[in-house]
Amino acid sequence: MSAVTQTKPTKTSSTSAARPSKAHSRRWLFTVIVGIIAIVVNIPLINAILVSFKPDGEIAKNPLSLPTNPTLDHYANVLYASGYNFPQFFVNSAMISIGAVLLVLVIAVPATYAIVRLRFGGHWIIDGASALRLLPAIFFVVPFFILFSNLGLQDSIPGLILANTFLNLPLGIILLAAGLRDIPNEVEEAAAVDGASIYRTLFSVVLPMLAPTIVAAAVLVFIFSWDDYLFALVLSTSNATPVTLGAANFITSTGIRWGDISAASFLSTLPPLVFAVFAQRYLVSGLSAGAVKG
Amino acid sequence: MAQTSAQRKKTVAATLLSLPLVVFALLFIAYPLISGILTAFQAKTLLDPTASFNGIANFVGLFTSGSFSQAAVFTVKFAAIVVVIEMVLGFGLALLVNRRFPGKKVFFTMILMPIMIAPALLGVMFRLLLNGDIGAVPAVLHGFGMSVSLFSPSSVVPLLVVLDVLQWTPFTFLIIYAGLQSFPTELLEAASMDGAGFFRSLWHVVMPVLKPVLFAAFFLRAIDAIRTFDVIYVLTAGGPGTTTTTMSIYIYKAAFESGDFGKAAAASLIVLIFLLPFVPFIVKRIASTGMADKK
Repeated sequence: MSAVTQTKPTKTSSTSAARPSKAHSRRWLFTVIVGIIAIVVNIPLINAILVSFKPDGEIAKNPLSLPTNPTLDHYANVLYASGYNFPQFFVNSAMISIGAVLLVLVIAVPATYAIVRLRFGGHWIIDGASALRLLPAIFFVVPFFILFSNLGLQDSIPGLILANTFLNLPLGIILLAAGLRDIPNEVEEAAAVDGASIYRTLFSVVLPMLAPTIVAAAVLVFIFSWDDYLFALVLSTSNATPVTLGAANFITSTGIRWGDISAASFLSTLPPLVFAVFAQRYLVSGLSAGAVKG
Repeated sequence: MAQTSAQRKKTVAATLLSLPLVVFALLFIAYPLISGILTAFQAKTLLDPTASFNGIANFVGLFTSGSFSQAAVFTVKFAAIVVVIEMVLGFGLALLVNRRFPGKKVFFTMILMPIMIAPALLGVMFRLLLNGDIGAVPAVLHGFGMSVSLFSPSSVVPLLVVLDVLQWTPFTFLIIYAGLQSFPTELLEAASMDGAGFFRSLWHVVMPVLKPVLFAAFFLRAIDAIRTFDVIYVLTAGGPGTTTTTMSIYIYKAAFESGDFGKAAAASLIVLIFLLPFVPFIVKRIASTGMADKK
């Protein structure tokens, strides 16, 4: 087995030669194996999607089959039926995640510029950010609960925006600092020579060049804020409940409505999945920059 | 003179630009950190938030109760098992995917999807999959003539291991795969020219070069596994009994079910101190791999 040997792309290879065709069929073998793995890791999602389209009677009767009489009833229930607050949860999640993205960027972009380019504070802030990223979030749960009770931020959207900003600010700083270091200093120096102020340089010279990193940071902060459960569980009760908490509560409060639950859980994962598909480039670069998740 | 005025402008700008970060860090990082440490040495409860210092009573209570050390042992064991499995599978998968084949782009995206799904929501999806009445997994087991109760004390831990591996192998895969992309192919070609076998060249050529990346993947996963909360809490809430109570679940329950903030803060502090020695090590590793990965 010489799997280490890199098979060179042989697009022009004709089918007449024996070797290329053998290599060709071997490449399809990898398609099959990797395809199976790709399906296996997504079984929970695929199963939830299938269940969400089955009518109630069908769900318990044949757990293994595809929906025979597909229905959209569960989606209609989740979105319109009274008694569920799902649309509200969805709006809450969106506001919390977008708010956290904006606040992280507003805080982290100028500060990272000051740290990396203007030598504010020094390198320990970046190291501190990495360290903070690694500390257990659970440690901050009780202090945040006490702080938010005192500040009147308990169960409010601004409260959860602040909490998710806290959770994701280190990631933002790490990614932006790495991105900034990749930008050559000369352009900024030239701008300074031309008489541009530091603020103008930051806004009209640095920001456009930093855009890909900003997008990567924004996408990751959005996903991690959307996916937060622990802080939502502690810091929200009803008004600010996001989808993660709402969908998990679905299961205990209305234990038998499996179809509705699966529709709700699938809808709740859609925004992060859309990003996973359409912003994959940024995700991969952001995640593999090593600065990762909590 | 001009030099110093420029210098002063720079200092003013740096301070102004950092101001939002400084304010936020003081209010929402430094203050919670200090108040968390103080709470660990106080008698403070959900119902009676007026604090009074009680020395190390909270810590004594934790170590004498037994349930905390039980949670600690479970957490460390669970983390060790899942991380080892995820590293091996992630590495294997990265080697497998690291070549050209039809459909690679689509499957690569699919493999990354579990990382994006909220662990809490994945917990809900696992419940759908594993439920005795409507779940596909019990139905399959039933088809083989097995009637296993998946959430019984004996099978719940292996079950949680499998679920964790399903969700997080994609993560170790991604980190290692990204590392392989910056791997010099000449090295591999030279190794195969030498006639070195697959495993030998893996061990002697690939592993040494990939070591920083493997370290990063290992420690990032280990730290995340040690603080596991969402999936297990949604699936078992730490039960049956306390079989699957991780330290995070223990702390959550101590604070918000028993209402004992002092005890929860003390347990948090122990977890923090336990993880602290790893932090500078990983920070250094991440800093170096993070920079090296940039292309």
